[in-house]
Amino acid sequence: MTSTINLEGKTLSSTIAKLNAPLTQAFDPRSSSLSPITIIPTPTPTYNTQAQRLADFETLTAALEYAAVGNAGYNFYDAKGNLRSVLSYQALRQNARISAERLSGLGLAYGDRVAVIADTTPEFVELFFACRYAGLIPFAMPVPVNLGSHAIYVQQLRGMLEGGQASAALANVDYIGFLREAAEGSQGLRWVGTPEELGKLSPLNIPLQANHPDETAYLQFTSGSTRTPRGVIITERALMSNLRGIVRNGLGIRPGDRCASWLPFYHDMGLVGMVMAPMVAQVSVDYLATRDFAIRPLQWLRLISRNRATVAFSQPFGLKLCTLRVRDSDLEDLDLSSWRAAGVGAEMIRPETLRNFAEKFAPAGFDAKAFLPCYGLAESTLAVTFSQIGQGFQSLRVDASTLVDRKVAVRLQAEGRKYSEFVNCGRPLPEHTVKIVDENGMELPDLRVGSVLVHGSSIMTGYFNNPEDTQKTLQPGNWLDTGDLGFLFEGDLYVTGRRTDVIIVNGRNIRAQDIEELAEQQPEVRTREASAFGITDAGDVTTIVLVIECRLTSITDRQSLTGRLQRLVYMAFGVNCLVELVPPHTLPRTSSGKLSRFAARQGFIQRTTLTDQLSAESGDN
Amino acid sequence: MASDYTDTLQRLCHHLKQFTGPDVEITPQTDLINQLAIDSVKLLNLIMEVEDEFDISVPLNALADVQTVHELANLIHQIKSAK
Repeated sequence: MTSTINLEGKTLSSTIAKLNAPLTQAFDPRSSSLSPITIIPTPTPTYNTQAQRLADFETLTAALEYAAVGNAGYNFYDAKGNLRSVLSYQALRQNARISAERLSGLGLAYGDRVAVIADTTPEFVELFFACRYAGLIPFAMPVPVNLGSHAIYVQQLRGMLEGGQASAALANVDYIGFLREAAEGSQGLRWVGTPEELGKLSPLNIPLQANHPDETAYLQFTSGSTRTPRGVIITERALMSNLRGIVRNGLGIRPGDRCASWLPFYHDMGLVGMVMAPMVAQVSVDYLATRDFAIRPLQWLRLISRNRATVAFSQPFGLKLCTLRVRDSDLEDLDLSSWRAAGVGAEMIRPETLRNFAEKFAPAGFDAKAFLPCYGLAESTLAVTFSQIGQGFQSLRVDASTLVDRKVAVRLQAEGRKYSEFVNCGRPLPEHTVKIVDENGMELPDLRVGSVLVHGSSIMTGYFNNPEDTQKTLQPGNWLDTGDLGFLFEGDLYVTGRRTDVIIVNGRNIRAQDIEELAEQQPEVRTREASAFGITDAGDVTTIVLVIECRLTSITDRQSLTGRLQRLVYMAFGVNCLVELVPPHTLPRTSSGKLSRFAARQGFIQRTTLTDQLSAESGDN
Repeated sequence: MASDYTDTLQRLCHHLKQFTGPDVEITPQTDLINQLAIDSVKLLNLIMEVEDEFDISVPLNALADVQTVHELANLIHQIKSAK
């Protein structure tokens, strides 16, 4: 094993552990001594020594310069709940500036992109800020999470390196092998290495320039896509506007707040919401790696309980994992009463998920009023709407058949009718507007279901080097088409579903197009002869269905194709899928010859007579 | 060391039984993805059980090269030996 970090704790002496410790600790006075005595680190405090400023900065580095004066910061915990490393904002500033001088020595131009595989580590955060200090544009790349995903993961990395036109790329020792493979033969990359290797380069002694609010702060890749990754361009101005909205209006951050997070740093909710937002408000954060949360969700709740965290976000799926996997006997040691903002977002929120969680954790002091549903997307930096803090979640029950047939949300009048219940995601942040439009772009009144469009100060500039997708997504007047469906009621947004181009399984957004492209890479499958979509059953379990028009006649050949496709989809996305082979010309096409996923889904449902088992979802288009 | 591996394999197969019917035989060549249909959620459960059973920590980067029962048993064995 190349990884030593994962074996720490039980096996390595403190001296070896120190050698393997993050770079940051070299600057940490608490661990700078070479004595072999184990030094137990102390987490950064909840109450800061400096006056709190809520994101009233022009740029991210300006915010860090201020936060570095206080004593808050980031704390990283291991799978067993032990504090592994502490990165105060002060140390972050210092380390990031030194790394920025080293990055400057690589001969990159101002605004060049730097790709970093984003494991939950201090090094990632340092590199991210180092890029900003050096005037470079960082983007986070995911860690591999699926069994047998080696080849496809490397392909994903390559897609992002090319899509973001990266000039340098970094990964820690666990992932550098994948990164080097992905970088092979690259024309644009000038440097690939680990943070340790970067640390051996000599810093270029030039003054670091301040960033301008109009320059690009970072790129955010929106899905683990295979061939056509899309990097969202976010400027410093858009970022700071969104962060201001989040910490002031969304969360009402105040002294005494502390965050706890397991969200991946390569996801917008993890990076913007739980790395940047706390820093721009000088709040301390306790981190658990996503992997460690996923395996033992209890550790996250323990962190909240032990450190008296007040703000912690999750996708609904994460809450489900907690409800399912935490044993009742574990509840006795938990005290979740400090948790005042339990943010929920990033995918459709089902009321049942929240109710089940609240019921399960009420004995541990969880207050259902802490639920804070919100809505957002990477294309609008992160957040668009927040519900009222401290009010818990509100929902609306609407008649299911009217919703599907007429795309109108009619509030349930009589008991006994089949209904759909939607969670209130609240109101847009200041400087943002949400509207609902029909297929022709005409604005719809309250309770009419249509496409959710967003306008405002945190909207992306576009997709990096992808004018075609930018034009499709950013409509005239700079209205962002979110790809989501929903309705407004009394100023609040209710999201009713995704359009059929995105499938959400176990909390992950998977683009239908990516699955279809995987299929089309097979020699037996022609372009435009594969259609992928999701079907959700009454138990809220989503299955991916891949329908292929297939000319193969031999059973062995057909089985070989089906098995291979299931395997590829699993390796790329970590989910099982149902493959249906149909005769040519079965899949419905639009007049322009494009496949209609919505119609393909309808056809599949009819063929398999699943209609009754599926939950009512409002009109996809 | 060979007997350690056999022991690891046996204990692992015991945990893998939950993913199959009683009549399915699990061999070292059994494919975790295609034959046992271990999706990402089942995988988390399996990793937790494996970590508890063998008292190890399984790094994510290593799972990217695991497809069969033998490869997983081998990985567990390697991590244990490195301790």
